[in-house]
Amino acid sequence: MSKARHNFTQLILKPALMGLLVALVVLVVLPLIDNNRGFQLPQQAAVSSYADAVNKASPAVVNIYTTQSVRQSPYDPTPRTMSRLGSGVIMDGRGFIITANHVVTGNDEIRVALQDGRLMAAQLVGSDRLTDLAVLRIEADNLPVIPRNDELQPRVGDVVLAIGNPYNLGQTVTQGIISATGRVGLAERTGGLSSGYSDFLQMDAAINEGNSGGALVNSNGDLVGINNASYQSQIANRATTGIYFAVPYHLARRIMQQIISDGVVVRGYIGITAEQHYSDMQEMRGLLVSALDPSGPAANAGLRVGDFIYEIGGEPIQSVNQGLDIVAETRPGEMLEVLFYRDVRPMRAEVRIDRLRE
Amino acid sequence: MKKLSLMLFVLTTTVAAFALPASVQAQIPFPTDAEGIPTLAPMLEEVTPAVVNISVEGRRVTRQRMPDAFRFFFGPGMPSEETREQPFRGLGSGVIIDADAGYVVTNNHVIDDATDIAVTLKDGRQFSATVLGRDEQTDIALLKIDDPTNLTAIHIGDSDSMRVGDFVVAIGNPFGLGQTVTSGIVSALGRGGFGADRLENFIQTDAAINSGNSGGALVDLRGNLIGINTAILGRGGNIGIGFAIPSSMMINLVEQILEHGEVRRGVLGVRGGNLTQELADALEISRTRGAWVSEVLPDGAAAKAGIQAGDVIISLEGRELQSFAELAATVGTMGAGRSVVLGILRDGEELELKVELLERDTEVVAAVMHAALQGAQLSGLDNNQGVRITSVDEGSPAQRLGLVADDVIIGVNRQRVNSVSELRRLLDNAQGVVAMHVRRGNSTLYLVLPN
Repeated sequence: MSKARHNFTQLILKPALMGLLVALVVLVVLPLIDNNRGFQLPQQAAVSSYADAVNKASPAVVNIYTTQSVRQSPYDPTPRTMSRLGSGVIMDGRGFIITANHVVTGNDEIRVALQDGRLMAAQLVGSDRLTDLAVLRIEADNLPVIPRNDELQPRVGDVVLAIGNPYNLGQTVTQGIISATGRVGLAERTGGLSSGYSDFLQMDAAINEGNSGGALVNSNGDLVGINNASYQSQIANRATTGIYFAVPYHLARRIMQQIISDGVVVRGYIGITAEQHYSDMQEMRGLLVSALDPSGPAANAGLRVGDFIYEIGGEPIQSVNQGLDIVAETRPGEMLEVLFYRDVRPMRAEVRIDRLRE
Repeated sequence: MKKLSLMLFVLTTTVAAFALPASVQAQIPFPTDAEGIPTLAPMLEEVTPAVVNISVEGRRVTRQRMPDAFRFFFGPGMPSEETREQPFRGLGSGVIIDADAGYVVTNNHVIDDATDIAVTLKDGRQFSATVLGRDEQTDIALLKIDDPTNLTAIHIGDSDSMRVGDFVVAIGNPFGLGQTVTSGIVSALGRGGFGADRLENFIQTDAAINSGNSGGALVDLRGNLIGINTAILGRGGNIGIGFAIPSSMMINLVEQILEHGEVRRGVLGVRGGNLTQELADALEISRTRGAWVSEVLPDGAAAKAGIQAGDVIISLEGRELQSFAELAATVGTMGAGRSVVLGILRDGEELELKVELLERDTEVVAAVMHAALQGAQLSGLDNNQGVRITSVDEGSPAQRLGLVADDVIIGVNRQRVNSVSELRRLLDNAQGVVAMHVRRGNSTLYLVLPN
């Protein structure tokens, strides 16, 4: 009994007390360290605002006005001018602006209005229909650039602010959260695997016509995505509220870099229609080939309908979108190794990736 | 055994060490409850009793033009318009700004044409209310609750200090559902220019505002009133774009209503529009924010201060102006006689001019006072010796009554009338038949207004 009590004191109480002592020291010292580093303790019940994030990000969000002259007939002496409205985001000091493709496509004149009042003509550098993104360039000094954080991974529940120019009201900021990530199948379905090329962010921050191409930022002002109001009307005919979409920043950045370096976005094409599938036999996830382009790269390399693909280019494949990304990012002419099962037989094919034609 | 004790030591240390930074980093934008979960409830419990439901009944006059075929049939003496009165009911919201006096602010369009106004508090008590004054152009009305007891007033905040991105909460009675609270942020400031000859300087918000929210409160996270919810963009309902009248503008108007019984607008005496991109291009100005002056009215306040056509007004009292609508709304609600400093852009150079705002010749449509006066335009006399009839529409009820232009109304039911607001008050309070004392030239006469 006394031995037990001794043990209790020795083994439990003593270290616990020592622990508390150390903890006390830490508690006293830690705030001092924080203060020395210049950290600020928020005041009790401080009422916050997103004004700081807005101040950081909003100067880099521009209004875009486009005009297009339309002739009713070849004999029409005075063509009518059609104008369209959108938003854009200044991505760097060289004057590259990212926006939505549907805002700037097929226009004679593109003009950009900065929030400091400057108004200037913009050049279309290039565009990508599949992600509905376009890159513009303006010649100007002292451009405000959108804050970016390449490490940023948007999560469901993150607070987001949409900045743009709905209905040409003037710059407008709306707030919401990310409702879902990796929304696919909204973009036009073209070639390759049966899915879109854009994994959208879904959110409940309200965007409207004119917001397209504008910035979606987080509560720190960092760019999270490029808003796109045109998909909203595709999911519902009636006016919907609470379901809006944006192209994620990491995808937009990749597309922009390709457009800036090559002028176009070149995607690889493999010629497979596939579905996500769990194989009970192999006890793994992969893609089940449901259709093949008969003269496409995959058919030429010997793949058949019913094959179960589990690895492309050395990466285990979990979803259609992942496979699509790997193929799309491969340069035409390069070889991709595809590992698959045909019934129970493990097989391997070398596929020469073709160029995706839009 | 030794290992266990060491573990325990480490654990207690880490728990204690983590406890502190965790509470420090919990920077949540909302106030929190006892368990640290963000909630607006404590603030709302204080504020919501000051937001009321308003239900109105009245008769609305609808005018219908006679088809020309009818006029031919009945002859040229026939009035060109047919008026019809239809009963209506309406719902809206309001905000108690003075608990002792029972003053409630709402939108003019909520109480327009109402004969009976009932105010229902959050606790279920119902009072009748009367209109103290209203202003169509800004859409503000001030009501007084009859025999107010035990009311809660809202605290009025400083709408001028609001920034885009600040949290706001809308409180009102959408669709007559009962009191409803929605949250959002300030989306933009200084919005306007939607309605012709309206004075608009809205706070734009994405907090859901719907039909019935009109006249309700937009508050900040401390519960201070920063706006009166007034309008939305979008057909059926909320699309995330709602508008509120800033509290600073509302208070300016309420003070004028309480002092003069009506709004006495300050007048700058300029015409113009927004500095649009096309205009900026044409004028070779490299900015698109501001109010462009296209015309300076002779003898107006602006002309006296030296403002010229072609100037761009870029700031007012040091605050940057976004649009012409914002200039018009701010000046129009400031009250006559105030002096303001305007920042002007002229030929690429910025200068500042001090302007003393003049009073507008208040032309009032008499139909809002009495149905029998419909068709007459009124304005106050400079010497406060009556109300002048500036014009009378052909074939209108006012003409049939016998009124002609340049008549001066000097009394109602043996009480003297000095101003438009007095005339309105006397007509509002008159029971039954009204005898109106009118001076015409050197003679006076009585006109009897039918009940």
